[in-house]
Formats: sequence, structure tokens, C-alpha cells
Amino acid sequence: MGLLMKTKFNARGILIGSIAALLLGCGDQSTKSVAVAAPAPPAAEPASGSLTRLDARSGSKMRLEGTSTVHDWQVESPLILGYLEVGPNFPLEPGKSVTPGNVPAKGEATITVKSLRSIEKDGKAYSDTMDQKIYDMMSYTNHPKIVYRLTGLVLKEVAKDKNEPYVFDSKGELAIAGVTNTVSMPVKVMPLEGGKVKVTGTITLKMTDYKIEPANIVIAKTGNDVKVSFEWVLGQKKPAAATK
Amino acid sequence: MNENENDPLGYNRRDFLKGGSVATLMTMLGGVELLAQAPAADAKVDDTKVKVAVIGLGAWGREILNTLGRLPMAEIAAICDTYPASLRRAATAAPGAAQTPDYKTILANNDIKCVIVATPTHLHKEIALESLKAGKHTYCEAPLANTIEDARAIALAGKASKVALFQVGLQGRSDPQRHFLVPFIRSGALGRSVMARAQWHKKQSWRTASPNPEREKALNWRLDKSVSIGLIGEVGCHQIDQGNWFLSGMPTAITGFSRMSLWDSDGREVPDTVQAMIEYPGHVILDYDATLANSFDGTYEIFYGSDAAVMVRDNKAWLFKEVDAPLLGWEVYARKDTFYKETGIALVANASKSVQQAPKPGETQITNPILSTALEYFLKNAINVEIALNAETREAFKDDPDGLAEIFSKVQKRPAAGYLEGYQATVIAIKANEAAVSGKRIELKPDMYELS
Repeated sequence: MGLLMKTKFNARGILIGSIAALLLGCGDQSTKSVAVAAPAPPAAEPASGSLTRLDARSGSKMRLEGTSTVHDWQVESPLILGYLEVGPNFPLEPGKSVTPGNVPAKGEATITVKSLRSIEKDGKAYSDTMDQKIYDMMSYTNHPKIVYRLTGLVLKEVAKDKNEPYVFDSKGELAIAGVTNTVSMPVKVMPLEGGKVKVTGTITLKMTDYKIEPANIVIAKTGNDVKVSFEWVLGQKKPAAATK
Repeated sequence: MNENENDPLGYNRRDFLKGGSVATLMTMLGGVELLAQAPAADAKVDDTKVKVAVIGLGAWGREILNTLGRLPMAEIAAICDTYPASLRRAATAAPGAAQTPDYKTILANNDIKCVIVATPTHLHKEIALESLKAGKHTYCEAPLANTIEDARAIALAGKASKVALFQVGLQGRSDPQRHFLVPFIRSGALGRSVMARAQWHKKQSWRTASPNPEREKALNWRLDKSVSIGLIGEVGCHQIDQGNWFLSGMPTAITGFSRMSLWDSDGREVPDTVQAMIEYPGHVILDYDATLANSFDGTYEIFYGSDAAVMVRDNKAWLFKEVDAPLLGWEVYARKDTFYKETGIALVANASKSVQQAPKPGETQITNPILSTALEYFLKNAINVEIALNAETREAFKDDPDGLAEIFSKVQKRPAAGYLEGYQATVIAIKANEAAVSGKRIELKPDMYELS
């Protein structure tokens, strides 16, 4: 018992230090960060008559994963709000025939920073302290949301069958903690039954690209890389009840 | 031995020894209690608040108000009692709060997100059901009700709630000390379970003075056998619930005794002294007694094992080891307190900041740290839910209530004491009172604890 408790304490002590170091950022001082403003609202565009609107539905998940030499960490939110508007060349139903190439699309995804929770690897809640560190890291007070704005979508691979996803290249602007960077990543689109689609993607970001500053506590070596993965479920809204 | 990691509230040994470097250093210097370190002075404090209303402003309602007043995340928006004098008296503890005799005005206020139901037990049902129906995060005092039917109705409403939290006021379930003790006991640190005992001793009338007979009856509902489930139901409910929790089982039978020892001259019907033998699986018996006629040794719970006993008092606990018990290791350095001829090894989690920190000048000490922890847990949980299920989310999901409920189920933390624990504790409370009043042994079948 005593040994166990002591071990726990030691691990915890190092862990707290390493998390603090990690969250405050340490590692190379990348200068790749660009604009510091949140993405500008979309310019007035022609009426999206030919675009189909999909709104965020439940079943979504966004996860951030980081590393350190002591303990990996992860935070997760079950809530991604926002919308996608897509042109006709987008697979809205399983098995739909579409042609590779540019797909007219725009969209915005937002994640409330405070809906992120630290979890253990097995999904159990980790700690309120860790949650608060995450919020502070992301300058929650001034920037309560993570915002992604889609600017380009290109269909690369058509699904081989109904159970396979369509593969796209996406381009967009991602704003975290008040810093906006252009990000490109492959995303997979899986049309689901009932007019829903699940968009999944993974990208590795560098904390320093988002001006998350190094800490002065370095007990364990921590990584600058944070892996962001998401599953975003969207669907066409059910038609409003018929008006009489 | 990672069972603590499964604690739904997230308390674990890491919390117990958080900041252990200081504790360890000091133990090397001469032996002190193991004590969780207070948060660093410069630790950032989340200043998000949530609007809360308290319905029912008797002595316990006022205790809740006083406790809320010291919780930084609580904004007491409204207080409610049907009796004007109670409202006025409570208002001093919540100077900015709206005062109303009608709880429905609170439920109609969309800014109020949390409701605490602290009315007399037999009046919980209607308010709790309507509060949940109105989408308010609802904290309902325990016992839930004075009848099993009402308790079932409340618990089922809590279970069915799609976007509102339901926490039961079994506040011991929120106490960090007890969260530390559960796995400690279950891990076998006490050896084989032998027995348990708990008591609640006070010398007081349980009667409140009133200016008129009608009010007197309403105010002293605890002394009215038509609605009261007596000492073992109203008070014992909380202590017996800890037996369920610590002993990992539900009582199989209760044999009760009761008598009027002292307060027989005021015409009351509810016994002032109750004793009960509560049988748990494995032939472990919890010996419980509560009285209003003698205050000796106050309130405590003791769990006896073949290697050691643990005594829990308020939010503190001590370990009493047998001489032939295995050495745990850390106890050599722990603080010791002497109880007559016994030496108690302090088991002190005290992870709550409120417990550790001395009051600032002009600030009074929290009188009920366990209640404080329970309310804090409830309000923080509500804040987290409201952050995720904010107006934007609700608008986005207004045509998809199931989707909203799914998100709610993912963002809420498991309530410190949920509908099922609340229901089960209430069933036991009611049956224990029946046993005590009748002087009989009542068997409790497993299906009595099922909520269907």
C-alpha cells in the first residue's frame, strides 16, 4: 500500500510538471505561425442554390492527443457544431457515383473549448485540473471556440464500395487560441443512411504554430506535436413540420 | 490495485497524495498526517457561475444557502418557501436573490439552471418532477420521499431526464475522504469484514417553535408519523447508505427497535430513540442507533475488519490496527490521535480546498464541508453541461432531441449520488423506519432495490 501510494505520488508529481510543461509548450520555436486574427467571416457569396446544406448532428467527436516521456495525454469533446454546404458532386448517399475533382463546398466547424475534457486512454475522466490547464492553454476567456473554416475540397478517391469512404483533400483555416493557420489534410467522407455523412480526419499540429509558449518547468521531455482527430457527423435537417 | 481509478467522481489516490512532495518531506522530518496539498496560490480559478435556486428554507435549506454562498460558482438567483417568515429569515444568506412563495415562478425562469429541493421529504415529489420536466438540473435532498411509490416516481424521472442532471442529496457520496476509504476498505486493508456500527446522538427536541398551530404542524413534519420516516429514515438514511457503499452490498434484512425515551411530554408520535440491526450479505451486520435523548460521542460510522477498524467522523477518518495486522508502511509516518487507550492513525484526504484552508479574515469557516463538496460537484457538473448544451447547441439540435440527449449523456459526469442510489437509500430508509416502529425484522428482497 505504502509503496503503491508513493509510486502514485511520484508519477503524479512528474506528470503534473510534464503536463504543465506540455501545455505551456516547449520545444522548437517555429516561426510558421501566421495571422493572429480569427478567420474572417466568409465574404458574401452568391446564393448557394445549388449547394446542399448539412448541419452538425450528434455522434461527433474531436480528440487532441499529446505526448510526453512520462505519460501521453488526451482530451475529447463530443460536440462539433457547424455546417457544410456542398455541391452536387458530393456523396450524400452510400454508393453515390461522383467524379474526382474539385467539389464546390464551404463550411464551418466550431468546438467549444470548455467542452473538451481530459480523459484516460480508456475514456474515463482524468482530472478537472488538467481540463483547466487545457482551457488556459487555449486562452479560453478570449477565444472560447476552436473554429475551422473550410475553403477548398477536392475529391481524390471514389469509394470502392458502399462500406468504404470517399477520400478528399481539404483546405481550410484553423483558429486556436486566437491564431489562425491554413491547414490542409485528407478527409474521409462516409455517407450514412438517413441523409447523414460522417467526415473524419486527422492532422498533427505544432503547439508553437499557435503561439502556445514554452513553460519554464521542464521535468519530462514533452512533444510539441498534438494530434487532432475528429469524427464529424452531419445531416440534412428534417423538413420542418408541414405548415397548415 | 487500481480500483480507485474507477471512481466515477474522479477521486483517487493521486488526489489523496497530490502535492505529496511536501507531505513526504514533512513525514521524513517527524511524522505528520498525510494531507492533500492546497492548490497553489496562483492557480487560476475558473470564474464561471451558474444561477441556482433553493426551494424549501427550513434549517437544512438555510444550511444549503449558507454553503452555496461560499461556493464561487454559485449565483443564488432565487429562494422559495411558502412561509413568509422562513423566506425573510433565509434572505439574509442570499441578499441578492429573488424571493418567492411559489416554486413555479422559479421553474418558469429560464436563467435559473439549477434547482435544489430542500422541502420536507413528503413534499419533494411534485417539485422534483416539475423541476426536471422544466429542464432544470435538480438536486433533491435525501431521503427522496416518505413512500416507496413517490421515491420511485422521482427516481424514474431522474433516470428519464434527457438534458437535466439529477443528483440526490446523499452528500457523503461526494466526500473525498470517503472516496478514498471505499477502495481502501474494499482492497482488504481491514482484513475480513467483521461488522459495522454507526450512530447519530444528539440531545435536542427536533421540534421548532412556531407562532400558530397550523404552522407548528407544518414546521414539525418530522414529528408527525403520518409523513415522517423518523430518525432512522431522515438521518440514518445517509449513514446506512455509506454501509451500502463501503460494504458493497444492499441490506437483506432490518430488525428495528424504537422508543420514546425523553420527549414524551410534547405529544409527539415519532420515537426519539431508534436502534436497528441491518444485515448485509456475508452476515455482516451494521448496528445503527440514533437518539435525541443523549449526545454522547455524537455521530460516526465504524467498519470493523479482522486486521483493523476504520472510524469515520464528518470528513475525517482514523485507522485502528490490530497488533498482528500486516504493516502497510505509510502508517509509520502518519499522524496519530489517541482515543482513550487506542491509537488512531489519521486517514485524511481532505482534498477539498474548503476544508484545508483557514478562513480569510472576515470569512467564516464552512460549517458543512461534505455538503459543500456535494453542491460543488453538482454545480460544476451543471456548468459543464450548460457550456456544451448552450443556446447555440440547443438551437442547432432543436429538431433532434435525441441527438441533444446523446450529447448530454456524454458531457455530464455521473452524479455523485444518482437516481438509483437515491432510490435504494430511500427504500432502506422507509423499511428501516417500518422495522423500528413495529419492532420487527423486515426482509429486503433484491427486487425491492430495482427500479422498474
